[in-house]
Amino acid sequence: MKKFFNNIKKYYKYAIYSAKAELKSEVADSYLNWLWWIIEPVCFMLIYTFVFGVVFDNNEKYFASFVFIGLTAWEFFNRMITGSVKLIINNRDLVTKVYIPKYILLLSKSFTYLFKMGISLLICLVLMICQRVPFSWTMLLAIPIFVVLYVLTFGMGMILMHFGVTLNDLSNLTNIGLKMVFYLSGVFYNIQKKLKKHPSLVVLLLKVNPIAFIMNELRVVLLEGNLPHLGLLGIWGLIGVVLCMIGVHVIHKNENSYAKVI
Amino acid sequence: METNSEIVSSKSKKEIAITVKNLHVTYRGLKKTSIRASWTKLGSRVELFRALKGVSFEVEKGKILGIIGKNGSGKSTMLRAIAGIFSPDEGKIDLHGNTISLLSIGVGFNKKLTGKENIYLSGMLLGFSEEQIREKEQEIIDFADIGKFMYKPVKTYSSGMYSKLAFAITAILETDIMLIDEVLSVGDAQFKAKSYNKMKELISDENRTVLIVSHNLDTIASLCDEVLWLNDGNLMEIGPAEEILPRYREFMGQQDPEKES
Repeated sequence: MKKFFNNIKKYYKYAIYSAKAELKSEVADSYLNWLWWIIEPVCFMLIYTFVFGVVFDNNEKYFASFVFIGLTAWEFFNRMITGSVKLIINNRDLVTKVYIPKYILLLSKSFTYLFKMGISLLICLVLMICQRVPFSWTMLLAIPIFVVLYVLTFGMGMILMHFGVTLNDLSNLTNIGLKMVFYLSGVFYNIQKKLKKHPSLVVLLLKVNPIAFIMNELRVVLLEGNLPHLGLLGIWGLIGVVLCMIGVHVIHKNENSYAKVI
Repeated sequence: METNSEIVSSKSKKEIAITVKNLHVTYRGLKKTSIRASWTKLGSRVELFRALKGVSFEVEKGKILGIIGKNGSGKSTMLRAIAGIFSPDEGKIDLHGNTISLLSIGVGFNKKLTGKENIYLSGMLLGFSEEQIREKEQEIIDFADIGKFMYKPVKTYSSGMYSKLAFAITAILETDIMLIDEVLSVGDAQFKAKSYNKMKELISDENRTVLIVSHNLDTIASLCDEVLWLNDGNLMEIGPAEEILPRYREFMGQQDPEKES
């Protein structure tokens, strides 16, 4: 673990620089440039709000904000998981030519995703103001929830990154898994209300699936102004830390062999 | 050659820069597989490829060691193991605390960014701090000599300009030990001469230890003090260039006449 922190200290500047570089190159040659970072999430929100709010007739309070909070958390999770599986292979040139702790690649990637999530969150706040969601100081509790989300996905990302090197078709598997989790996480519906008749299923979906849980807590904090479930949040945070430790261990043990495989 | 031998004789205390002991590298361990394949092939034996079979040698500080051998004899594998890109399966590599870099072209370049931004990106990846790069920035820009293209995205470069910039970065940001894998011919004739001279200047620095892999025996003969000859992952001989090279030429002549360079 000490090696991990030393490496982070040594390479975090590179991680930041390379994240900036990637963001810059992403917008360098598109017509609307950085506006896409705003247009894209807003459009998704409009689509989901229309389909699930109007077509499927959902009477959730502040439905647009409700969807947007879900999307913000989901997109970060989705990008991290999809991104990490192929990360080593996509950086083949780098991995075979220079030594770099492999989680630095993930760290750098996560910075770009965090940045996008930040934008999404800002739009979300604007939307909440427009919909006149009452303000309360408990909203600040969203910060620890995001920290838990980050730690958890970073841990999962490291482990997936490792297996992504040797398992060619892991990305197919994660795609299916992500699709499933997407629909089960209640990005555009309220698990508790929709599944009122199956209380055991609600418990299962909300407690076992960290993303659903985190989304739900974010909504509780931001839209209802209530306190989150601190105990469960702590447990998931702890699981996240354990996953990170496992991931760091696995990568330290194997990273020097990656160059031979890819 | 005279200057090189002078350097050697002036260094009487024989500080060792690299120690390689009984180095084994096997391509195995993690084998690429798919989920289906891992079901059907459970229990079948993985084939091994032993790239290096117990190589040991030492390099003194300030020396220039050429590594020769036919294709697939483990030269690049050894450089990469020494650079720490992957770990040896057996044996030890001790760098005695020296910084090291594998001189390779365009590591970590982002083609959509300008040349200048890529200097930072590539430099930081090689382990230099932002300040160190800023100090050397102008020198790199001058050496690369690609004019206003420095401020244009790298994807607009010709392949020659690309390698010029890449070479400039790795050549100017120096480390104690440099590993060079066949990169001496880059760009047009003029730049080639310039980079060859720069290379010569870089590697004849008394404090810099250099390992060069090349198939061009003339290059090896003119640059190196010592030569290490690898054959099929085994160390054949190590010693002064003028002794080893004739024997190597003879050996290659017997083996496969058209491969000789």
